[in-house]
Amino acid sequence: MNKKIISIFFLLILMVSIAFAYIYFNQGETNQNQYDSSGKNVNDTDVANEIDDMFIEEDDEIEIGEIV
Amino acid sequence: MKKIWTILILLMMLISISSYAIADDAGEDEEEQGDVDSETQKEIGIMNTPLGAEIRLLQLKKALLINILKANMTIEVLKGLEFDEENLTALEEILDQMKELFEVINTTDPSSEDSVQAFVENKSLAKNLTKEFRDAIRDLLDDEDLIALREQIKAMISEEVQNIGKYIHSRIRQFNRNQLYRLYGLIGETDNSFIEQYLNGDVTLGLAKLQICKIINNMTKDRRYLIFSEIKEENIKKKINAEAFIDEMHNKGKGKGKWG
Repeated sequence: MNKKIISIFFLLILMVSIAFAYIYFNQGETNQNQYDSSGKNVNDTDVANEIDDMFIEEDDEIEIGEIV
Repeated sequence: MKKIWTILILLMMLISISSYAIADDAGEDEEEQGDVDSETQKEIGIMNTPLGAEIRLLQLKKALLINILKANMTIEVLKGLEFDEENLTALEEILDQMKELFEVINTTDPSSEDSVQAFVENKSLAKNLTKEFRDAIRDLLDDEDLIALREQIKAMISEEVQNIGKYIHSRIRQFNRNQLYRLYGLIGETDNSFIEQYLNGDVTLGLAKLQICKIINNMTKDRRYLIFSEIKEENIKKKINAEAFIDEMHNKGKGKGKWG
């Protein structure tokens, strides 16, 4: 009886470990797949945002705080 | 039987500890990135070119100069109100440190390898000194006087600040002109006269960006995706560069203290 319980317990731990490992290692791949499948549908805003990021606004300033 | 239970418990503990170690590692990475604020991280993204580094150092110089002039004026106002010499000495000491820092920034070579580190550290120092001065002033004046003082120094106009501002403006235009060339290069077209019009101030940055957007949006789906990917790649590289700079600084400056 005891042996059975221990075997089931071991199997449970093994399954949980495998499940966690599978989720952990496949997370990046899933995200990549999502990006790839939606990637070709680029809208105007996406293009505009990426172009914006390439430039510096002419009134751009560095903030160090007000003296008073 | 007892042995099996002990092994089981040990196994469970091992799994728990290892998962905690993974979680802790991820947290450490986030914390390390957190030393440099997101704004600064974004600012250093363009510092992989001498022109980008020059712009950031000039902008920092301008911001500090404005605060030095305002601090100077504040001290003069307080002197006029016959404040204790002892209180004013503390403010003057902070002002002297700000002036020293200004000289350090002024002599930093934008094309040197350490320009990014110099920018991050000096920006942090400038912020700290500004805060120190602001806190010291708050101990001396009440809210009403602070508002009056703020109004008095708000309208301050300095020829030096204006000149730096104009120079920064021209360097930013130069930087953006280079980016326009890069973008036209990716698209496979060139409109030299349009780019020169932007540099001369005849075309605004908004219009220049709109023009590029129109060209890309009129492309076929595949071509548009290709160009978009290349632009995105450039922007991601910029972010990776910024993160690499920060990592490098961490490696160099471990034990030296933190910046933010």
